[in-house]
Parts: sequence; structure tokens; C-alpha cells
Amino acid sequence: MTDREIFEKLEEVREKGTPVCLATIIETMGSTPREVGAKMLIFTDGSTFGSIGGGCGENQVRSAAFRCLLTEKKTEVIEVDLTDDLGTKGGDVCGGRMKIFVEPHL
Amino acid sequence: MQKRINELLSRGETFCLATVIESPLAALPSGSKTIILRNGEMEGPLAETDWKEEIRSQAFLAFRDRKKKLLEYHGGMKIFFDILMSDIKLLICGAGHIAVPLARFARDVGFYVIVVDDRPDFAHPSRFPECEVIAEDFIPALRRIPVSSTTFCVVITRGHEHDAECLQEILGKKSDAAYVGLIGSSRRVRFVVEMLSRQGIRKDRLDNLFTPIGLPIGAESPEEIAVSILGEMVCVRKKGPEQARLLRRAVGVGL
Repeated sequence: MTDREIFEKLEEVREKGTPVCLATIIETMGSTPREVGAKMLIFTDGSTFGSIGGGCGENQVRSAAFRCLLTEKKTEVIEVDLTDDLGTKGGDVCGGRMKIFVEPHL
Repeated sequence: MQKRINELLSRGETFCLATVIESPLAALPSGSKTIILRNGEMEGPLAETDWKEEIRSQAFLAFRDRKKKLLEYHGGMKIFFDILMSDIKLLICGAGHIAVPLARFARDVGFYVIVVDDRPDFAHPSRFPECEVIAEDFIPALRRIPVSSTTFCVVITRGHEHDAECLQEILGKKSDAAYVGLIGSSRRVRFVVEMLSRQGIRKDRLDNLFTPIGLPIGAESPEEIAVSILGEMVCVRKKGPEQARLLRRAVGVGL
């Protein structure tokens, strides 16, 4: 998805009053699946639009998004570590780390 | 703010969006956003602070270096400088067997993809998910599609007459495209280029044509050819057309 498609979707769902969370990669260290600035929208039913890389990273972001949307109702910065040995847990063997800003649009 | 961002993006503007990530100030909560335009105009809460000039100069550095960045200030203030720009478009003329993987891979790489073909069975949305598909004769379709420095064009129609008419439209536009590539054997390519030259297409634009298309990686299957074309486009996007030509010249490919 391009930035325009992400922001258009964000506006479209906000006009309907649907809560949604925007996740943006704000910093990377080492080798990561997506670049700084990559964005993804996460909805309360767990569905997503766009991508920040897939795999475990995305699952961690989804959990943070649920906290943001359903319980804490405030922004969060999460750090995703992709250096896990041989990726046995979820296949994330990119070797890098990334910081992701998660912001609720309620 | 959301509406304003979309308005700027749909106008094709490039601008900086500064988002407060962490903040010790209640008046400037995390998530607040400020737009900094190329001309330095600012819209949003950071424009009302003492750091206005600092934010503006950081945005200018981000424009210059095409680099998005996270900065930390005294007191625990963290700001993310994002650069938002209009879509990078890929216009594929010809919806045949190479177009399918090319469109799919290009979407994954972040291009906005438009596919044109005069055969509705080929230019069918079911073959090109998440793409804009136009089933129409090439010339009227291409007349409507604007081409700019953020448009990549790939000409892979089923025959050289269609290749020639597509190129005539694309190369005859007012602005230069970022990339124009033409598929084909060197004989077919030479035929098309000579024909366009007789029709008065500017020589510099014909010289800049990437043909035969794609990086020389020995591609044979449609998927491999799509990878080779996309590799070349990524190179043009990230490193500029000169580096892409250098790679071709290194193994003696091209006109």
C-alpha cells in the first residue's frame, strides 16, 4: 500500500466512526523486513490494511493495537526484535530490530 | 488534519509530517501531527512552539536527504519526521502473462499499479488484485493517464504495432516519465524505435528507453522476467537511471 492509500483508508473508516489503529515503523536497526515509514492499519476485529513486515512482528503490533484501541486508549512505542535464533518461534530471521509507533484513532 | 493530509497527497505534493512520539508536555500530546510544506509553511501544533524553526530545518534536511527519522530532544521529547509523497505509479501496457507477476510483485514493492489492454479477458480485475485495470484501446486510455517524474512505464503488449502506439503516446507526453521500458527481441525493438523516430519522437527520449527491458539476470519464465524488470525499476527509483544503465552496460546489454 502507498501512503496515500493508507491515509485515504484511515479517513474513510474514521468518517464511518470505526475505531482503527495506525502503526508506523519509526526506527530500524540491522536488517528488517520493511523500511522506516512503512505503515499498517489494524482494526478491532484483527484485520489489517498495509504491512509493516509480517510474521511475529506483525503479531506483536496487533497485540499493541488492541491495547491501544480497547484498554489503554493511548499511543505506544513497541520494539520488535527479529534476532531470534534461527527463527524457530515464528520465522523472523531478518536479524534486526525495529521501533513501531502505534496510535489509536478512536 | 487527516483531511488536509489526504488533500495534499491527492494533489501529488511531497511534504513532511512531524509526529510527536513521546512528550513531557500536556499541551503537545503524543500523536499530534504537524505538516511542513516544501516552501516552509507549517500547519499544526508544533508551529505554535518555540522549536518552530528547529522543526522546519529538520524537515528541510529530511527533504534533502530523502530520509525519514526519529529525533530526540532535551526533556524527553521525541519527534518522528516522515516524508509523504504522491504514489510511485507503474503503468503496464499489455495484460499478458508477464504483466500478472509484474503487477503482483510491484504492488508488494509499493508501486500503485495501472494495467491497460484492449482485451477485456486479459485486462480483467480478477487477474490483477489491488490494481487499477483499464480494458480499453491503448491510445484513448493512455491519453487520459498523466505521466510524470513519479511514473514508471512498462510496454509489454502482444505485438509491435501496439508497442509502437503505446510508446508514441507515452514518449509524446509533456513530462518525462521516471522510466520507460520496452520488451522484445533486438530486431523487434529496433523496428519499433526506427518507426518512432520517423514519427518525430524526441531523440533523447528514444535514447533513454530501457530496451530490451530488465536487468540481465538470465530471466526466462514470466516470473523471472517480472523480477528482472522490477529489479531495474527499483534501481532507477533508489539509485537513479544511470546506475541501472551501468548494470546493463557491464554485460553489454542495450541499444
